[in-house]
Amino acid sequence: MRRPAVLTAAAILLTFVLAACSTGERVDLGGGSTGNLVAAIAGEPDQLDPQKTSAYFSFEVLENVFDTLVEPDANLEMRPALAESWEVSPDQLTWTFHLRKGVKWHDGTSFTADDVVYSYRRIIDEKLANAYRFATVTGIRAPDPSTVVLTVQQPTPNLLTNIGGFKGMAIVQRKNVESGQIATHPIGTGPFAFVSQRSGDSIVLRANPDYWGGAPRLSGVTFRFISEPSTALSALQAGEIDWTDSIPPQRVAQLRDDDSITLAVTPSNDYWYMALNEAREPWNDVRARQAIAYGIDRAAILAATSYGTATANQLAIPKGSFWYTPYDKYSHDIDKAKRLLDEAGVGKQSLDMLATGDYPETVTAAQIVADNLAPLGITVNIHTVDFATWLDMQNSGDFGMLMMGWLGNIDPDDFYYAQHHTDGKFNAQKFSDPEVDRLLDAGQVETDRQVRRQDYAKAATIIADKVSYIYLYNPSVIQAWTPDLSGYRARRDGAIRFRDASLGRDGAN
Amino acid sequence: MRTLFASPILRFVGRRLLYSLVVLAGVLVLAFALVHLVPGDPVRIALGTRYTPEAYQALRSASGLDRPLVQQFFSYAGSALTGDLGVSFRNGDPVTATLLERLPATVSLAIVGILIALLIALPAGIWSALHRGRISDGIIRVTSQFGVSIPDFWMAILLIGLFASTLGWLPTSGYRPLLTDPGGWLRHVILPGLTVGLVAAAIMTRYVRTAVLEVASAAHVRTARSKGLAPAVVTSRHIVRNALVPVLTITGIQLATILGGVIVVEVVFAWPGLGRLVYNAVAARDYPLIQGAVLLIATLFLLINLIVDVLYAVVDPRIRLS
Repeated sequence: MRRPAVLTAAAILLTFVLAACSTGERVDLGGGSTGNLVAAIAGEPDQLDPQKTSAYFSFEVLENVFDTLVEPDANLEMRPALAESWEVSPDQLTWTFHLRKGVKWHDGTSFTADDVVYSYRRIIDEKLANAYRFATVTGIRAPDPSTVVLTVQQPTPNLLTNIGGFKGMAIVQRKNVESGQIATHPIGTGPFAFVSQRSGDSIVLRANPDYWGGAPRLSGVTFRFISEPSTALSALQAGEIDWTDSIPPQRVAQLRDDDSITLAVTPSNDYWYMALNEAREPWNDVRARQAIAYGIDRAAILAATSYGTATANQLAIPKGSFWYTPYDKYSHDIDKAKRLLDEAGVGKQSLDMLATGDYPETVTAAQIVADNLAPLGITVNIHTVDFATWLDMQNSGDFGMLMMGWLGNIDPDDFYYAQHHTDGKFNAQKFSDPEVDRLLDAGQVETDRQVRRQDYAKAATIIADKVSYIYLYNPSVIQAWTPDLSGYRARRDGAIRFRDASLGRDGAN
Repeated sequence: MRTLFASPILRFVGRRLLYSLVVLAGVLVLAFALVHLVPGDPVRIALGTRYTPEAYQALRSASGLDRPLVQQFFSYAGSALTGDLGVSFRNGDPVTATLLERLPATVSLAIVGILIALLIALPAGIWSALHRGRISDGIIRVTSQFGVSIPDFWMAILLIGLFASTLGWLPTSGYRPLLTDPGGWLRHVILPGLTVGLVAAAIMTRYVRTAVLEVASAAHVRTARSKGLAPAVVTSRHIVRNALVPVLTITGIQLATILGGVIVVEVVFAWPGLGRLVYNAVAARDYPLIQGAVLLIATLFLLINLIVDVLYAVVDPRIRLS
């Protein structure tokens, strides 16, 4: 009995030595080509149906597989994609899109206007999460295989953003949907085609040589799921992966000095805010809300939650956007806060602040807020719950104050209407202001871009003055990649596009 | 010739098997009840932000939650027995297939981890016990105390830092299937295997040491020694063999723990095991997947228990007679 055990031990030891001798060679899942890019994302997509998923991990992959009729460029302005051109009727109620010809699905069949009609009808008829983007659309038809006509009930200046702003509005293939394959084996028209998925491990895409925008220079992309940031960074430094966004903000300062990687810290269109429940006393008084806006230390919150990687902003839309409005009314001013509370006749108060461990920044910020408001005689009770419960409590108005973020908005209507209009779907704080309502309604139908910008600048200013939201900052998109990677840029909307990327190793540049 | 079940060891195994089936039936009831015991409406919670009345009705009837409870149970139990554990709430994937896809990675990690643990714990524990009070015993005890105390995620990060980042000998993370890429499998399994193996070894060393110490002071060992048997023979035949029963127990428990999912190690090494799957399923309130995983892990536990029980009987004749 004893000898075999010793032999086994020796054999295991030997294999250890053998394994240790083979150097950390490049991990390649994509068929052995050097032009295959390995990207590490921080989690696994829940499913691969772009119209049904709501997970960012899914969109990171699907951005490269699917197309929309129009798509945002680097400045988030809409430009042609599957639609080559379009025109709007003089009464602004009919939009005609001319589709690109010769576009093929990844299975080789031809893309036609019927696919667009089918995709949009599916979103509307099945009442998918994005159906609201078609709120003004009354008709979708395909008069011929390369034309799609959308009719709207009122002028809709943000129609292009609605149908192209993100891949949730992707054009899908009827056969792929009806066979039930789309959630696991999606077929798109994009620069990369889905090949395979290994549960818990990776998704493999290969280049689509027939892509309408020109064949990608990479032979394929492998998305690996590495949720532990320190592992992702080690893998990047060891050359096992070429790109990752699994980077905690606290590592940014250190990585800036690392020559072996390229680091991108790009302010995003996302934003974080706090809101007070105006259905509760005394927060229905604008002065009490302003007192909180002056009482919190924004700089401390930004530093603690983002390690200085975010950009302070007292409105939602970041600098660099056409819709940006400068605004910096609030400073950390305890005396002013006290005066406002006195004017409003607010005595000692307790304030229930809702936070969720699923977004740790809300817990960190809540602790700072509790400290900030103590000198004002306001005792902050922090309730930390899971996000599902958080949503439930928010929707039923069971909070005094909360902090949360909004992601992926482009058009000002997305930033303000649902959140601040009296009838807004996400107006959980119960803000109501007739002037804001009027401006937000006007913005929805105003087709003159300059006038529209003025409307939203006014509305945003009132929203912040009257403290519907206490806007805090725009977080950054943080990504790192190997210096061998070229033709790739981190985008403000967090879309991960590898279509123009190439790896230096394959001598493509 | 006597019938098969006249053999005491087979009778013992048969009895154990029967117990296991009873426990499994209990687990089946619990897994089924899970959906109905959580506060709130499972369909509503599973849908979360995607809730619409249409989606609610669709998921409710698709998952059979609109039928009478008893009917639901027998339908669930019946399907489960034929290996059909339903489909995931989240993406409609068959639960059985999803679990089976994750099983090889988990089993790989468990077997490599437990082998490493045994390779360390057996010699270290026996040596430590036989040299009780000496410096080497002290070193082993302090080291194992250290090993028990060190968090596994920290050990994992240290191992990655040393073997992957600094030395570049092994990959930082990921998994390769054994059948299609044995070399890749081995290179990828070493660091996670070492992490779970070292933690388990630290725990097991202490058990081995205690077990050996207990036996070493027993009367039969004194007799063997006084008969003039060689120390090596006394150790192997009279001490270690008798000390094996508690060692088997702790080995079984450690193995089952790793099989049930070592979430932290799986997360750090991006290892596609059951632990992360269950964690994500819980976070997404994916009840069919949680139920399936509970059943699978419980079955694995029972299987290991059964094997350990049989090994007890092989090692110690007294057990099969009791």
